[in-house]
Amino acid sequence: MEKRFKEIIAGYCTLSADEITNDMTFRDDLGLSSFDLMTLLGDLEDEFDVEFDLGADEHKLSGIQTVGDAIDFLEDYVN
Amino acid sequence: MEKRYPLTAAQNMHYQWIRSYATQQVSGLSVVAAFQADVDVNLMKKSINEEYRRYSCLRLRFTKPDKKGVISQYVSEWKKQDFPEKDLRDMTMDEADDVMQKWAYETFDGDDIPMSEFFIVHLPDNYNGFFVHMDHRLCDSVGIAVMVNDIMGVYAHYKYGTGLPQEHTDYEKVLEQDLKREANPKRLARAKKFWDSQLELYGEPVYSDIQGMRVLEESRRRHKNPDLKAADIEKKDLQVLVKDYALEPENTARVIEFCKEKQVSPTNLLLLVIRTYLSKVCDGQEDITVENFIARRSTQDEIFSGGSRTLCYPCRTVIPADTTFIDAVRKIQDVQNHIYMNGSYDPELVRDEIRKRYGTPEDTSYVSCYLTYQPPLPTRNATSGLPSHIKWFANGAATKKMYLTVSHLPDGALNFSYHYQNAHLTEKDMEILYYYMMRILFRGIEDPQRTVGEIMALV
Repeated sequence: MEKRFKEIIAGYCTLSADEITNDMTFRDDLGLSSFDLMTLLGDLEDEFDVEFDLGADEHKLSGIQTVGDAIDFLEDYVN
Repeated sequence: MEKRYPLTAAQNMHYQWIRSYATQQVSGLSVVAAFQADVDVNLMKKSINEEYRRYSCLRLRFTKPDKKGVISQYVSEWKKQDFPEKDLRDMTMDEADDVMQKWAYETFDGDDIPMSEFFIVHLPDNYNGFFVHMDHRLCDSVGIAVMVNDIMGVYAHYKYGTGLPQEHTDYEKVLEQDLKREANPKRLARAKKFWDSQLELYGEPVYSDIQGMRVLEESRRRHKNPDLKAADIEKKDLQVLVKDYALEPENTARVIEFCKEKQVSPTNLLLLVIRTYLSKVCDGQEDITVENFIARRSTQDEIFSGGSRTLCYPCRTVIPADTTFIDAVRKIQDVQNHIYMNGSYDPELVRDEIRKRYGTPEDTSYVSCYLTYQPPLPTRNATSGLPSHIKWFANGAATKKMYLTVSHLPDGALNFSYHYQNAHLTEKDMEILYYYMMRILFRGIEDPQRTVGEIMALV
């Protein structure tokens, strides 16, 4: 899952999936805007066949800063 | 034969406007990009021809409508073409702009015809470059900026031997991804669930107008329905006028700093400012809808593939007067986040559902104000440091009563460009609107714990 996740993020920035590390932040290191992050969530729903609940998960989502945070969050959903 | 594709939701939005208002003028898009330097005309023409090859959305054509009015799109074969030269040197820049403004009113009428054209322009004070006029279904404003930047990069390659800019992403590749995404039944169901939930929570939306309650009241009288919640829209006189105001760089910096510190987007802040003004002039109405344009250009492929990716969704919020400014922004942010997540949903489906549920009369709307915020644009090639004359021209026909575009100027200022229907609004209305928007904005950011009710009373 982590590999596919990074491939998707790579589409949003100028780095390749291999260059993306778990400690990179979405905003400062990858240059994603809040709009991009929400668009990414929509794409992740399609890719991993999950449905995020922005209301219930507001606290968790607002805490996501790094790629590693997002992978942990996504793994919770997928599992 | 070229492969045929259906229109995307973004293209269909423009197509429906063309059908509804019975003129292609509502879908016109025009820009001049000129630089204060001598230009090698032959090389500029060669560069534009090369752009037609690289940026295949410029070669899009549309088929004749079928019996149901449905059209398809296809990318026509690349062919070398000539571009007329227009000499406007013997006039002032304002006069030259007036001439180009008239070109922007022209329409592309017909099926299976080219939907874009370029002129080489020679402007006063040795500004030289090109004017481009096209149908909005080919490209949106970000796509145009990418294209202008690329043409200059290609020109620099031919003229000065610099490296050829990186190729754009193939338009048809991204188009196929878009159409696949839009047709994904699970995604459609998720988006519909969100939009339906808004209606189940708040019921039918209610119109609000820059000119206060009287507009809705007039429509109620006209329709002999005192409970009508939508107001009539202008269908005959679509003439649009434009008024620009620039917020000084130091004040813009305060706004951007506030956004960074509070982690809110400028779009959401502007939506709050507009809705607060509408609430103020509509007797404190709490249920306000403003339509906001978003462009799905998040991935590198989406940014550099051209095409029209702009969609317009209603941002509806019900915000009581005792809500603090910062909580109100968060409330808007929450709605917008849902919209962004479902950003490939056809907004026409949202309007269809409302019409179906509440029997909204033909040619009425719940919305008077539309917003686009354009963040600083992405570029792949360094733009030249030459003085430039880059100007967007209104197509002259507005489908909206007031459409505000907020963009960043090179000097750090924020430009507020108000496009308003001349049939109903005046420059004075825009002056008042801008004045109050700025007062609301700065009363809010100087103390975000103030309630919106306090701010409305203060301004």
